[in-house]
Amino acid sequence: MKTRDQEYRELFMAEALEYYDSMSRHLSELERNPNAGPALNELFRLMHNLKANARAMGFTDLGEVAHQLETLFGLIRDKEREFSGALIRVVFAGVDALGSMIRAVGANQPLPDATALLHNLDLVVRGEAPILEEEEAAETEEESNRKMELSDLVYIQVKKLDNLLNLVGELVIDRDRIMTLAQELDNPALLATAQHLFRISDDLQYSVMDARLVGVGVLLNKFPRVVRDVASAEDKEVKLTLSGQDVQIDRNILQIITDALLHLVRNAVSHGLETTENRLKAGKPPIGELTLSAMTERDDVLLQVRDDGRGIDTEAVRRKAIERGLITAKAAPALDEQAVWALLFEPGFSMAQQVTDISGRGVGLDVVKLALDSLGGQLRVDSELGVGTTFTLVLPTSIAVKGALLVEVNERPYAIPLMHTDTVLALHPGQISIVGGVMVTYLHEQSVPLVPLRQLLHDEGDEPLPSAHKSDIEGTQHVLVVNYNSRRLGLIVDRFIRQQNIVIKPLSKPLDTIDLFGGVTLLGSGQVCLVLDVPALSRLFLTKRP
Amino acid sequence: MNKRILIVDDSFYMRTMLKNMLTDAGYEVVGEAANGAQALEMAASTEPDLITLDVILPDNTGLDVLKSLRQIQPSAKVVMCSAVGQEVIVTEAIENGAMAYIVKPFSEEKVLEIVGAALQNGASEQTA
Amino acid sequence: MAETTPSLTSSKTERAKPTERVQLIVFRLGDEDYGIRIEQVKEVTVTPEVARMPKTPLFIKGIANLRGDIIAIIDLEERFRLRPEGRPVPERSYTVAVEADDYTLGLMVREVPRPFTLPLSQIEPAPEFVQDSSTRDKYLEGIAKLPEGGIIIVLDMRKLLTPSEVMRLPGKMASS
Repeated sequence: MKTRDQEYRELFMAEALEYYDSMSRHLSELERNPNAGPALNELFRLMHNLKANARAMGFTDLGEVAHQLETLFGLIRDKEREFSGALIRVVFAGVDALGSMIRAVGANQPLPDATALLHNLDLVVRGEAPILEEEEAAETEEESNRKMELSDLVYIQVKKLDNLLNLVGELVIDRDRIMTLAQELDNPALLATAQHLFRISDDLQYSVMDARLVGVGVLLNKFPRVVRDVASAEDKEVKLTLSGQDVQIDRNILQIITDALLHLVRNAVSHGLETTENRLKAGKPPIGELTLSAMTERDDVLLQVRDDGRGIDTEAVRRKAIERGLITAKAAPALDEQAVWALLFEPGFSMAQQVTDISGRGVGLDVVKLALDSLGGQLRVDSELGVGTTFTLVLPTSIAVKGALLVEVNERPYAIPLMHTDTVLALHPGQISIVGGVMVTYLHEQSVPLVPLRQLLHDEGDEPLPSAHKSDIEGTQHVLVVNYNSRRLGLIVDRFIRQQNIVIKPLSKPLDTIDLFGGVTLLGSGQVCLVLDVPALSRLFLTKRP
Repeated sequence: MNKRILIVDDSFYMRTMLKNMLTDAGYEVVGEAANGAQALEMAASTEPDLITLDVILPDNTGLDVLKSLRQIQPSAKVVMCSAVGQEVIVTEAIENGAMAYIVKPFSEEKVLEIVGAALQNGASEQTA
Repeated sequence: MAETTPSLTSSKTERAKPTERVQLIVFRLGDEDYGIRIEQVKEVTVTPEVARMPKTPLFIKGIANLRGDIIAIIDLEERFRLRPEGRPVPERSYTVAVEADDYTLGLMVREVPRPFTLPLSQIEPAPEFVQDSSTRDKYLEGIAKLPEGGIIIVLDMRKLLTPSEVMRLPGKMASS
């Protein structure tokens, strides 16, 4: 029982975004042909509608800007004004402002101030010269970022597609049920229909997922400018190579990963690559090479940032991590190279010696890790001192469907995304030892701590988990080894159910604050199954280990 | 019998709002048209008692639609709807047989008042 | 001229509401009748299978699949401590799905909720001093006294459903 107001608001937003999108399209047509009659008529009509709707919603300023633009397009159409010169700039400023206002409405934020713009529009309508600021310097980075944004119309479609995807998820569940029933009843006609339904819904699911895919190029193409800016601020020479722009990925994933990628690229230019002078001293070509590439690997998309700079100084990172209290001086020497590099992405770690205005904005590479965690992605680091560094983001192609392993604890199923699973083991008590109260097993000559998933899930309070005793271990233990940030952890479960592709639904408020669960999925039986978040589980284990 | 109304507006938002207001007040909304062609088609097929007509429409101007509506459905009362700023068109609309004019954004009260008055006016003409 | 209307005696509807009526969905908690305004209710259904969610307070029964929406099911008897001793939650219960700003919650109730209409004037706002005493009273819109006797406690869901309210008992306290 949605209220009328809510409904009106949603309708308003949907239509406003659509109008805005058409406005931009017609404006570019007008730029090519200033007398395009149909475009002028459309702009006039769109402004008129936006004005009326905005006023009905009580967005006075939004209505006023649209009103002035409507008047202006009316005048242009009636040949009383010409689409040229300063007027064009005011019109563009006006339409940009409409865009930001509409976005502000959508985000429930106060609308930006439009006083100066309205004054200018008023002047232009009256045939006077607008007050324009001096030719703005080349557009700011923010502006260039904004232009790179995927259009707002797509945003609406994505929302609708989310809905569609949910429905398809439901359909697939019922399909599986019908399939099971058909097999039980053993009716050939029913079975054939069920199989047909199976294929169709599979196709439908892929079509919906496919509709959400965009080329990685949308994001990559925005980097030449970023790199040029950072390089010139750092007084470095950088040659950027892009590849794999056609690789397809879910639009929401690309959006979530944008900041992380920006961060890695800035980091590579300001910390990875050396100055020309230092490069020559090291016997390297003077110009630094930076490569941004996308490729597919099985069902994943890899985004790679590769530089031929100085490489990661593992020992320096190790020292710094001790300094920052991320690891103890005692534990530090035992960490291998990969484990040390993983520390770069811990919150509070920043290798920057001095804070530059480019990448030392008080945030470290941990933003990269956070973005990846939220997507269930992985990070790979590869580096050689003096030769260069490669960061690889391993991303799911689609946000919706993930491979997962279903396990059972206390007669309830839980799903663990395959992205974070290493292997499954069946261990005899003899293969498990107790070290400092923690169960440990050895896998490829490395020790892996083990913890009953039941304890992690059901032990309340902040106290450490109870110490494990050899006598508690009875019979074969089913262990799922998960991997997070190069740390492995063995989760002891009651049993493994099966491997399956799942559609993850996010937990809605108020339960979304429990970070242990990455979402929910519905099993073929219609049963609700929680999806475990491996990063959160690993962190919980670290804080609660005995 | 409930009076039957056809809504013509190119904004889905506006149509929804008008429809809710009119339906709540006990009118029957027999159709919603988003452009002139649809409006004429629906006016012919639904024979409404009253038509609310937006003055700015995508394919035709509202005025052209009004003129055609007067021909194909002369008994239907037409109430023009428009945001302020297009008063010239509205004056012309009244000259071409529109009964009244509602200014967007409108209050529910105003809409019902104007629609009610327009319908009543028509009734008295017919009975006179 | 534009805004003038034909000069007719306006049939301006007398839309003033001498007796504004309120429609409630009424259900029992403990031995008392509680009501929620129907605008705040999305639907009423037989409680679907509920999956207990670790790390949540006990009054959060768990999560359930309501037509593809995964919603939290909460037990107000538990929350307000209204459940009489030795009266377990029945096998078959009902869920009133209520809408907060941007999410839906299910309230689990033991008997079929029923709609009830009454004049707004019959709802007496809860007195101020009551409002800050115990947990339940904080969420009251008021108390409706019925002519035939009996009262309905009208809850204001908007006050109840803020995420901080719902989650105010952190998981670790549930064991205490």
